[in-house]
Amino acid sequence: MPPETVLTARGLVKRFAAPAGAPIEVLAGVDLVVRRGELVVIEGPSGSGKSTLLNVLGLLEDADAGEVCFADRPVSTLGRGAKSRERGRWLGFVFQSFLLLPALTALENVLLGARYTTGVDAERRRRAMALLERFGVGERRDHHPAQLSGGEQQRVAFCRAVLNDPPLLLADEPTGNLDDANGEVILESLRARAREGGAVIVVSHRPDAAHGAHAVYTLAGGRLRPH
Amino acid sequence: MRRASLINALRRVLRGYLFTIAGIAIGVAGIVALGAMAERIVRFIEGGDRFVLGQISVAGRGMGMGAGFTAGGLLPAAAVEAIRKVDGVAVVQPQVMLPLNPSTSQFMTLTQELVLGMDLSVPSPNRHYRTLPVQEGRFLREGDRRKAVIGASFAASRRLAVGSRLELEGQPYEVVGVLERMLTAPDRFVIVSIEDARDQWVSKDRLLRTVLASGGVALHAQDLNTGAAVGWREGEDPDVVARRIRDRVAGVNVQLPSELSSLLRQSTAFFSALLVGLGLLAFVIGGLSLANTVAAAVFERVRDFGVKRALGATDWQLGGEILAEALAVTVSGGAVGIVLALALGHGIDGWARRSGQQLFLFSPRLLGGTLVFSMLLGAAAAAYAALRIVRLSPAEAIRRGSAA
Repeated sequence: MPPETVLTARGLVKRFAAPAGAPIEVLAGVDLVVRRGELVVIEGPSGSGKSTLLNVLGLLEDADAGEVCFADRPVSTLGRGAKSRERGRWLGFVFQSFLLLPALTALENVLLGARYTTGVDAERRRRAMALLERFGVGERRDHHPAQLSGGEQQRVAFCRAVLNDPPLLLADEPTGNLDDANGEVILESLRARAREGGAVIVVSHRPDAAHGAHAVYTLAGGRLRPH
Repeated sequence: MRRASLINALRRVLRGYLFTIAGIAIGVAGIVALGAMAERIVRFIEGGDRFVLGQISVAGRGMGMGAGFTAGGLLPAAAVEAIRKVDGVAVVQPQVMLPLNPSTSQFMTLTQELVLGMDLSVPSPNRHYRTLPVQEGRFLREGDRRKAVIGASFAASRRLAVGSRLELEGQPYEVVGVLERMLTAPDRFVIVSIEDARDQWVSKDRLLRTVLASGGVALHAQDLNTGAAVGWREGEDPDVVARRIRDRVAGVNVQLPSELSSLLRQSTAFFSALLVGLGLLAFVIGGLSLANTVAAAVFERVRDFGVKRALGATDWQLGGEILAEALAVTVSGGAVGIVLALALGHGIDGWARRSGQQLFLFSPRLLGGTLVFSMLLGAAAAAYAALRIVRLSPAEAIRRGSAA
């Protein structure tokens, strides 16, 4: 059973070098706590740093200051290998542009994370198949991403994100490239994930993304402000 | 199940790396083809070197009709006998070496067609060629007349085989043997008994005919030698024996084996330099092409590597994966490249063989060396690219890959 507090972020600061002048401070001391079963939605205008925040929380990018903890254990200061292992153990990612590997089939894409973490055994393969069936893309398991629609690709990406049953799911504009119907399928899947006990952080522009959320924040001026 | 996933993995690699494999194949084919031409020249030079180091070559002082390494003036029987008596000499084999076609210039000709007449009553004095390797039929025996053993290139260019008839200076000869292809001078030899060679010499050389007909010079058949191959006794230094002959026998040109070897190397220095240049060029161009192709193939998948790291892959896992894929792709490309070069070389050689030439030598050391070289270079290029990529954060790798 994962601990109650899944993620804690304290004083996250991230700056990017500007072509001229002082660096741009995208995150200026972000604090965030996410617990089991919570769906947290982060909104904000384009360029406000939402994706950067998600990258820092997901250990895809280092902060210039501050700390990220998984279950109260600091992970942002770990070495690269340890960070990779923590990502594999704790996190699932859903990206706006799906980021499926074009050379792999839908099933192979779903199993990709397992290849580097738990290993791919018959049980894992059965679970991947069941997920694809549940999300209505079971018959497309041997298709490559180029042969799938955007909605299908995002559903495959969602299956990949949850295959290892990670305590925390990070979704960066998961509906950004989808029509309303497919977008709703994905949002509902994220809500369901939270209902099942997982922690979910969603960055989204869609007004209906906040529906059913436990907390909604706006990122502005490098800080999170609760609604 | 495992077999199916192996086949799937192979298909994936082939699909994902088809152009990479093609690029590597072209680079490797270039290395192998140019290398095979260099190997061909090396074999020619090495073969000649081995031959001249196996005997002491003696000719009569002055200029005569003879050709090849025994070219010089007449070496009369008395001189042959005097050489036999020199300390350290084990055996002397009188020889007649003539150009098959005297009108052919030797200028720029490394592979002139020669008639070699050997005194078959004497065993071969050459330590490195006690017998010449016969591919088909047999070598000449003492007492053979109007019989010939021919080199492989000579046979190929004239479509001759054992039992064929060959006309030399208006006389019919029966081909009794064809030598193995040695990729050096004997490939273009016609070997006959020394008696037959003397007849051909007289027939070819009007001046000699006139001198003999005049009766003004006391010349016997045994005096008609263009040179002799001299063997030394066990334990003797061939250069010392050669100097001894030079000192004690008047009217002869003696080639020290080491001098002749160095002379041969000097005369082929241009080709040696050319082949070193060719080889270097092939390795640089082919190597750069291969390294660039492998590195580019890794770099263009930077987004995929970012995604994999996001999903939990460690640097070591990715590095191992990149290296394994690079090796698989390099070996596949290398194998295809070798097959391409072999097909190209054999195709060209098939055409060249009609004129008795062979331009390529695909030695095992060349093929194995190229494959190992390709694998090492591919691995180094992949390792370089992998190191560059793993330095990026996963987010940066995804950003760069998505922007490309």
